[in-house]
Amino acid sequence: MFQKILIANRGEIAVRVIRTCRDMGIRTVALYDDSDLGSLHVRLADECVRLASGALYRDVATIVQIARDCGADAVHPGYGFLSEHAEFAHACEDAGITFIGPDSATLAAVRNKIGTLENVSAAGFAVPRHSARPYGESETAALMDAAETLGYPLVIKSYSGGRSHGTRLVREPEHLAPLAQHAHSAALTAFGDDRLYIEEAFLPGRYVEVQVLGDRHGALVHLGERDGSIQHNHRKIIEESPAPGLSDAQRDELCGQAVAIARLLGCHSVCTVEFVLDDQGRFVFTEVKARIQVEHPVTEMRTGIDLVREQIRLAAGEPLGRTQDDIILKGCAIQARINAEDPWNHYLPSPGRLRRFRFPGGPNVRVDTYAYGGCDIPVRYDPLLAKIVAWDVDRVACLGRLRRAIADFAISGVQTNLPLIQRILDDPDFAAGTYDSEFTRRQLLNTLASSGNLRDLAVAAALAYARRSADGNGALPERASSGWHRESRRLPQ
Amino acid sequence: MNRLSVTIDGHVFTVEIPPLNRATNEVSMIVDGQEVHVLMPEVGGPEPLDWIIVNGRPYELVIDRDLHWMRARSGLHQVEVRDLDATVARPASGDGRVKAPIPGLITRVLVAAGDHVEAGQPLLVLEAMKMENEVRAPRTGTITHLSAAAGQSVTLGALLAEIE
Repeated sequence: MFQKILIANRGEIAVRVIRTCRDMGIRTVALYDDSDLGSLHVRLADECVRLASGALYRDVATIVQIARDCGADAVHPGYGFLSEHAEFAHACEDAGITFIGPDSATLAAVRNKIGTLENVSAAGFAVPRHSARPYGESETAALMDAAETLGYPLVIKSYSGGRSHGTRLVREPEHLAPLAQHAHSAALTAFGDDRLYIEEAFLPGRYVEVQVLGDRHGALVHLGERDGSIQHNHRKIIEESPAPGLSDAQRDELCGQAVAIARLLGCHSVCTVEFVLDDQGRFVFTEVKARIQVEHPVTEMRTGIDLVREQIRLAAGEPLGRTQDDIILKGCAIQARINAEDPWNHYLPSPGRLRRFRFPGGPNVRVDTYAYGGCDIPVRYDPLLAKIVAWDVDRVACLGRLRRAIADFAISGVQTNLPLIQRILDDPDFAAGTYDSEFTRRQLLNTLASSGNLRDLAVAAALAYARRSADGNGALPERASSGWHRESRRLPQ
Repeated sequence: MNRLSVTIDGHVFTVEIPPLNRATNEVSMIVDGQEVHVLMPEVGGPEPLDWIIVNGRPYELVIDRDLHWMRARSGLHQVEVRDLDATVARPASGDGRVKAPIPGLITRVLVAAGDHVEAGQPLLVLEAMKMENEVRAPRTGTITHLSAAAGQSVTLGALLAEIE
């Protein structure tokens, strides 16, 4: 087993990996740049190394050199950054350092997304119609032609990455050019590669994916499916397992296809096989994510398996040590992603200093985060602040538990999407499990507050107003300098 | 007693509130003619109001310092407070100051001092958390002051421009 692992990532996933390494008695090395100095992953690691600039989280040569210098025998890439970067995996292999994930040849193969679609199609599985090649930013005309041939609606995807950077749904031809422009620059920023490809979109559809686990000796099992159809601003926001509404036959077919495709593509380590379920009930393969995913805790809650531990074990060459019959999928788990976003400002990012950050508790509630009260939420990275996962024996109980946990989550100092999550969880279609990928396009209503409740909140608002006035008359100098005093003279509009 | 009109999610309440003093954390108020009893953190403490107990019902709150919204267990609520005793002193409308809505980096400035701008017209582009955000004019008028420059990092609430 490894003695020391370098975690080539930041944020909640870096914290997540460090925790498992600690559990396993493996030493950890964290990376940070100036804006991440206050993050939890820096505090929890055994050693930490400063990066001269944030761009270096995905700089192959820098990270390999740091791994060498600190004496790490393995690197965990997390998600995003270098997690699906075949050249990075190859550079690690050359340096005699284990890349925790698939080998570089497998990564290179699945990263060729169009080639993968063709392989899978040739083996007899359904795939979306797609462009024959990727297009760079200078090839707008060729992209337009390909879109004309394919038809609408379509999805623009980044050729080199996932995590929704560069993914855009295009419903009408006139939106293609501006959306492609955004997708090019988003993909370039996130992955250093502006190439995009397009594929047929299925609307309404459901985004379902299957977690698979495989060793380097050919053993492969699945750990059930997840549904990630609820998205907001092109990002998944709620994920759950099992996918609601599937029949046992559909579920068996889905997981069976996933294992067959993973075997076909030579996947090992921790991988996810992604599908779209169209409105005819047909599963259409879209891509493989050869890394740990943001939503992996959903599967961990149902199986009791620590996926990061498995990933580390399998990377060390250990056998899988379990068969499909050993995998027991229990109950229901739902995860919500809490982002630092401003609900009053189109859910644009809301960085700043967290004042209060109190987790919910109770049985079977899990929070994964890099944040704590008093820490800064940096401007330069994505707004994922925390993930909250609840588990219970069935979906109704699980939903009740997650609703309660979300209401208990006390965050002040930055704005969050907690109110949006509350509205989604309270929506009758979500509660019934009859949603699809068009869900967040419609109006969500706030149904929680009773009129007595509103009256009490009016009392709170009146008090806040009166206290502010009282404070304005007080002699507290920091108030004057913070702007609080100045603004208190202005009445709210 | 100070009389306030408080609107929560479109429901209007009239609240009569006595002057607060630092000696007590209990207060009796009248809401739409009914007396309510409130417990709260001490007046003048370092934190904004973050919990209260109204007639035995506890609430944990996050309240916007401009009193436009609050968050409670029941979700996010829109708030409007009007001081019914202070109609004369009240400014007619919002001022023309344009402040940074989020901290970030100014990537482009689209106007110059002296320009005439229409309400809603983009003034500058602010990059934060990997997204470009347009900052728009809050009202129609002339830019009398412009302190924003491309390449400049700004903090939350920093004054960027003034429109008169």
